[in-house]
Formats: sequence, C-alpha cells, structure tokens
Amino acid sequence: MPFPPTIAKAISRLGGRAVRDRAERLAFADAGHGYDRFGMHPDFVAVGDALVAPIYDHYFRVKSYGSEHIPTSGPAILAGNHSGTLPLDGAMLFLDVLRHTDPPRVARPVADYFVLALPVVSTLFARSGVVGGSRGNARALLEAGELLMIFPEGVPGIGKAFSQRYQLQTWTKGHCELAIRHGAPIVPVGIVGAEEQMPQLARLPAPKGSPIPYIPVPATLIPFPVRYHIHYGAPIPVHEDYSPDQADDPAVVAEAAARVKASVQALLEKGLAERKGIFR
Amino acid sequence: MISVLVTGAHTPTGQRLVHSLVADTRVRHVLAVDSTEPPEPPPRLANRLQTMKVDLRSSRTVRELLFGPARDLGVEVVVHLAQRGDARSRGRRVHKANVDALRSMLDLADRHPTIRRVVVRSFAVVYRVSMDLPTLVTEDHPLNLAPSAPQYVRDRVEADLTACTRMGLIQAEIVVLRCAEAMAAGTGSQLYDYLKAPVAFRPMGFDPMVNVATVDDLVAAVEAATHGSGEGVFNVPGFDTLPLTAAAHKWGTRMLPMPGPLVQPLYNLRHRAVGSSFSYGLNRHRMHFGLVLDGTRARDVLGYTPRHPVHWPHGRAARAPLPTVRDGAARRAK
Repeated sequence: MPFPPTIAKAISRLGGRAVRDRAERLAFADAGHGYDRFGMHPDFVAVGDALVAPIYDHYFRVKSYGSEHIPTSGPAILAGNHSGTLPLDGAMLFLDVLRHTDPPRVARPVADYFVLALPVVSTLFARSGVVGGSRGNARALLEAGELLMIFPEGVPGIGKAFSQRYQLQTWTKGHCELAIRHGAPIVPVGIVGAEEQMPQLARLPAPKGSPIPYIPVPATLIPFPVRYHIHYGAPIPVHEDYSPDQADDPAVVAEAAARVKASVQALLEKGLAERKGIFR
Repeated sequence: MISVLVTGAHTPTGQRLVHSLVADTRVRHVLAVDSTEPPEPPPRLANRLQTMKVDLRSSRTVRELLFGPARDLGVEVVVHLAQRGDARSRGRRVHKANVDALRSMLDLADRHPTIRRVVVRSFAVVYRVSMDLPTLVTEDHPLNLAPSAPQYVRDRVEADLTACTRMGLIQAEIVVLRCAEAMAAGTGSQLYDYLKAPVAFRPMGFDPMVNVATVDDLVAAVEAATHGSGEGVFNVPGFDTLPLTAAAHKWGTRMLPMPGPLVQPLYNLRHRAVGSSFSYGLNRHRMHFGLVLDGTRARDVLGYTPRHPVHWPHGRAARAPLPTVRDGAARRAK
C-alpha cells in the first residue's frame, strides 16, 4: 500500500477531531485485520474525509438537501447523475454521506473496471471503500448490508459535452436489478454544479494498452469553483414494488430504471430552478 | 463408523488429516497412501491405520489399490490430496500425477463395491483473476482456462473439472474443495513461497487483498466433507483476509515495490540464482487484483467455518471476521 494505516491515521488527524470521530464510529465489516474483505480501512476513509473536506467546504461549498432519505442501516443504493470530466462529484457525494449519516456510513463507490488497473489510485481508492463494478462485488456488499454509490451514466456521463449538461446519458439498468434481487431501496441523487465544473473540449483516444478509456481535454486546468448542490430524493422501494424473482424480467428492470432516471432528472430540474447561479 | 482412504498422506495436510482421522471415533480405519515411503504407524495404531507407498500415476496401480486393500478394508470415503506442489514442474509424468490419477480413481469409484464418497482437494488458483471480476469469489466464478497459463494451473483446473463433470454421473458422491492457500511449507502455496524470501518484489502501486488459511482449517474442511452428505463444489477460505503488504509485514518479509515490467525478469533471475519455486508469471494478476474466497456455501452445507488464524511471526493474529456493517458499528462503539 502507498503508506501504512498508522500514517493514514496521522494524516487524518489533520482533518480535526470530527474526522477522527467519524472514523472511530464508522460502520464497516472488519475481516479480522482492520480491513474489510474489499480492502477498505477506516483510517484511509478518514484520510479521504480529511483531504476532501477543504474542497467540499471551501472550494465547492457543498449544500446538501434531503439527506434524511439516506437509510441509516441496511442495504441501499444511491443512484445519481455523473459528470464533470474528473469524478469529483463522487468524492463530494462520498463525504456528504459520511457527514450526514449516524453512525457514519461509507457510500461504497462502484467504479469502472479501468480504475482498478491504475497503480496507486486503485489501492488508495480500495482503502477508501471503492469497489470494482462487477455484479459479484455489488451482490456481496448488498448482502452485507452496505450502501452503494452507483452512477448509472458511467463513463459516458463523466465525459459528456458541456452542451449536454444536466441531460442524463445512457442510463444503465444493473442497479435496479441488484436492488430488486437483494432487497435494497434506491435513493435518487441529483448533483447540481458538477456538470459545469470542467467543460470538456475534446476526447483524445487513449494510448494502446492503457487502462483508461480516453484522454479528456478540458477547457480549464483545474475545475471552476462552482457551488455543488446535492439533492437526495425519497427512496424508491423497488424491493417492495417487485419480487426478487422479477429481477430477471427485463421489462420490470427497465421500468424500475426509468423510474429512477425520472426521479434523478426531477431532482436536477428542482435543483437548477432553486439555485441562484453557477457559483452561488 | 467409516473407513477412509487418504492419498497424498505424506504431505503436511495429509499427515495432519491422517492424525486427526485416526483420533476420530467415527472413523474405523484409515488407509494412508503416498508416492513416497510413509513411516510405519505406531504399534498402538496398527489396527486403525495402514500406510502404503503407491504410485498413483499408473491406472493399474490405482485399480490394485482400490480393489485390493481399499475394498478389503471397506473404504467408503476417498480423500484425494495428492497433487504435485512445485509450480515449475511440468511434463507428462506430472500431468499423470495431477490429473490422470484422479480420473482413474473416479472411473473406478463408479463400480466400486464400498466407495460412496470422493473428496477432492482443489485450489483457489483455479479461479481467473481479472479487474473485471469480483474480488469476493463464489463457486460460480470463472475458471482460469487461459491457454497461456502454466501447467501448474492447467493441471489443477483440469483435475477440478474432471471431478465436477463426474458429479451425478457416477454412483459415488463427489465433493470438490477449492482451498485457500495455507501459510505452511510443503503445501504447494505460492504465497508461502513468495513470502518466505527475505525480500519480495511487488508491482508498484498495487496491494491486493489475499485470503490465507492454516493447515488446521484445511483439515477441518476435509473432515467436514468426509463426514457430510451430498455433493458439490465448495470454497474453503482461511481465517485471515488482509492486504498483501500487511501479510508480508506480519510474516517479516521486506517488500520492494518495483515498476511492473521489471518484476517478472527479477523473479526469473532469482529463480536462476537461488532456485526459488515462486513463479511470478503464475501470480501476475493476483499481484494486481484481489481474490478472497467466499465460504458461505461451505458454511451452510458442510458446516465449515475457518477458526484457526495464521500465526504471524511479526504481527498480531486476526480477530473474528464480522459479516455485516452493523456488527462492525457495534464492535467499534464498544
């Protein structure tokens, strides 16, 4: 690992008492050596907490609405819009959930496969709770009662053109299938602000053999200091509306995915209507 | 009371298993065979333990074993542990020991008058490791069928599949145990071979999760399968799940992160210089992506749960794993 947990703990102390307190109270399934089976460690979650906090508080000045909709225990899926060239929306959502749940919950980000092939990044992400986007990983986490963070737009979402901001791209359905099969409600999340943080001018093809899907060409070297507004909607009880057997029915899963997509789109429209400007 | 035939009885796992079976009041007789000359059993056990040197590579010898001493003793359960442990062994003779011996045994078990159950020890190495596959591996996980895989892997996959394809087709029940690697010498564990060196190289920037077992837990799983009923494939995880670097630290091995493309040549050099049995080519994906066996099925069907943590020379032992986040919150709140 890039550094041991003792150093992670020391770094996390830079974030202050609140960060350490959250790390101490964190809900996670210790596999015996302080890590869970996927490699998450509370002290590394605290490092993420401490490092993201200044960006969350002072750069993007995140405002959170409706966090009472996040289940305090049991399996659940957060499904939101994805954008911004760099996955900072995931980092902001990660910290927002950590701060607004008691005991603190880690929203386990489900990442595209290529992330796991990136040296250092893959390890740091795994220690902070990120898992690869395979069905088996998601199943195991839901069965253990974890909270998943899924962006159904995937890579096309984060790479969308500026002209497509707040227009949801291809909406995958796997999260609904998992929710129906494993009895998890889906909490829709609308993230307003991220779609304007780093307009993308072009996408260059990645070098052959590289794990990344493309090289983005953003209009700015660093993201604009837009204000983030994170809106959580009421949980969609797909696990109650459909029986687990219906997870195999493509029509049912498509219908559930359409409901989630419509909820996220509605949250985005509400958020856009309520905000006073990109930076406010 | 049952009689049990154990192959590979002279391996560390075999020796411990035989010892445990002999002490088990549910077992009437143990027939312990190995390709090397086994020690004579102590006189007090002579009526419960019989040892034999048998070369299982020959189908005729297997027939003579099963329809000779095994039939005479009324062996009901065969525990097949015999596999060549050296990752670098190759060739037809190795294949005969790793695969053909099992095939002969299964063929003969179908028409054997007393054998009703065959327990086959398989290995976690049969699973494919890739970034697009789950870290937590269930029994339906894809197997490593890559043509480029070394014979060590191909033989194990073939033996595993040979047993799986016979399930339900022969009169004997077949149980395949896909076991985590044991942190013990002579068990064929690549992880043990990797960590026993004073300095181990790893690809820079990667630190995958590993799951390791003890011989005691493997024996417990084999015993559970021996006395159980029904057939199927079961993962046998160990008690310890931790990152590779943490395992190295606890084992007292110094880890040297190297740029990925340099690790293979360095291990090739080390093999030429000191004859290390660790093969980086065999483990390249495992050095990048995690593989942790999910033992839910073994727990539910066989009643097996790992209970013996690895004795780490330079670190504390593992605490009991927690199945859910809620349990974690409760433990951390204490």
